[in-house]
Amino acid sequence: MKPTGFSRLSIRRQEEITGYLFIIPFLIGFFLFQGLPFIISFIISFTDLQFVTNIGSLKFIGFKNFITFLHDNTAVESLGRSLLYTVLFVPAIMMSSLILALILNKRIMARNAIRTMIFLPYVSNIVAIAIVWQLLLDPRDGPVNLLLQSMGMIHLPMWLVGGTHIVIPTIVLIACWQGMGFNLVTYLAALQGVPKELYEASEIDGANSLQKFIRVTLPMISPTTFFLTITSLIASTQNYSIVQVLTKGGPGEASRVFPLNIVEEAFTHSRLGYASAQSLVIFTILILATLIQWKMQKRWVNYD
Amino acid sequence: MESKMINTETTHKGYFKKKNRNQMGLIILSLFMLIYGILNLFPFLFMLSSSFKALGKVFEYPIRIIPETIVFNHYVELFSPKYSFMRWYANTLVMEFSTIVLRIFIVGITAYAFARLRFRGRDIIFLIVLAALMIPGDMTLVPRYIIYKFLHITDTMWSMVLPYTFEVFLIFLVRQFFMTIPFELSEAAIIDGCNHLQVFYKIILPLARPVMSTMILFTFVWAWNDYITPYIFITNVDKQMLSVGLQYFQALYIDNYPLQMAASTLILVPVILIFLIAQKSFIEGIATSGLKG
Repeated sequence: MKPTGFSRLSIRRQEEITGYLFIIPFLIGFFLFQGLPFIISFIISFTDLQFVTNIGSLKFIGFKNFITFLHDNTAVESLGRSLLYTVLFVPAIMMSSLILALILNKRIMARNAIRTMIFLPYVSNIVAIAIVWQLLLDPRDGPVNLLLQSMGMIHLPMWLVGGTHIVIPTIVLIACWQGMGFNLVTYLAALQGVPKELYEASEIDGANSLQKFIRVTLPMISPTTFFLTITSLIASTQNYSIVQVLTKGGPGEASRVFPLNIVEEAFTHSRLGYASAQSLVIFTILILATLIQWKMQKRWVNYD
Repeated sequence: MESKMINTETTHKGYFKKKNRNQMGLIILSLFMLIYGILNLFPFLFMLSSSFKALGKVFEYPIRIIPETIVFNHYVELFSPKYSFMRWYANTLVMEFSTIVLRIFIVGITAYAFARLRFRGRDIIFLIVLAALMIPGDMTLVPRYIIYKFLHITDTMWSMVLPYTFEVFLIFLVRQFFMTIPFELSEAAIIDGCNHLQVFYKIILPLARPVMSTMILFTFVWAWNDYITPYIFITNVDKQMLSVGLQYFQALYIDNYPLQMAASTLILVPVILIFLIAQKSFIEGIATSGLKG
């Protein structure tokens, strides 16, 4: 074969050119679908953009959107509900998945079957899950309340149709049930990575189970705890789907969390700029929370 | 060694007792966990059994898991042309297939370049790309809507397929695996006159079957279950995907619980089957990405 232009280059040089050629399709797509949206969301947060077609004539209005936000009761209240959601969700899913992982890490019978049972909701379609939970938790006819009633309970919980203090914890419960599998599997892998010698050594030192858990297990799995706390935190702010399919923000506005508010501002009221500014608020809070975690990790995360 | 032997000797009796007690504890714990696991699955059992019940028999008390009379009607009805259900099923499958094909190629060659080719700026580009993992997707819905409008891909499956294709997490997952394949293999092939594209599909791809199947699994499950993307970017009923379609369906047949349950079951079955068949590779994928992340 006659050497063409490309194959006359040195192997090293060919490798370099191939490298760029191979990543270019991805980089274009990455820019278009990840980088650019991020940049645009910053820019339009400071504009009065309403409809996409008006994009040519948009006006920069400085921090006006953010000032409007501070005086917008619906928005601030929905941010409060999101905060309540996060404060309930993160500790609940972290603790329950750790406890389940500790149990499943023992030599119990049928542990793989049990792990599968706990994991199954994680791969299930959220709309299907929502429909069945709505039926299960129906305050009048649902099996859960009928069971409670037969056990003599008089004031039956309203679950998904109750006020903020009932509906948000109910959604959190369902979200934990659904998301548990991911945390559980990650924790299990971490627990299996703890060297047996460490437990043996502390046994020789006379440590009991609780001491072993506090002195050996917890520090050894702390990088995983750190990782899962961050991912659970991010997951808790991405709760649009689960809230929308379970309650659509209702009853009334009892479960209208921040992402629901943003989507409604953007796509029902066509206030794209204002909605973007609200996204920026939650993003800033999230970055701050992550940074604080990052700073604090030195105190409790063990990386040897 | 000597002292250890004596030690076990003397405490042998006590140890045996302790072991027995532990055994009992484990059995009780196993039973407890088994009950927990079954309770955990109760919503699925309820869904399945309700889908075979006659209208008005869903809310019986005490609950019957096995219906009095088994009714197949709802499933037969769902397949009738009266509903768009089959249409949504087909849309979702086409979308899945396109995503998977594009991902194998794009994620494959990108991960190959980042893992196995040396070029200037590679590591810094990779770091910038990784930083995007921190951006929550819901935050950029508005700008994505604007971009998709300009690209004329709203109301088409491409508003799902294209963003999926360029997701960063999978690049990371696949790159980690590619780095573990011995470099001698590709060097030898290059000296024999193969180009890198040939090395990629003749040598790397066959060896990377485990990670590629993990990627396909993740893709299938995520795309199948995604709700917010089709909800925001697709409004045409005929172009809709299953997730949102199911919600339309629920709103239309608000009182027909068995029909809703049958539709829900039909959505869950493919994913659950695939998960049960391939759960090892799915769970390992999550565990490794979790530990490395």
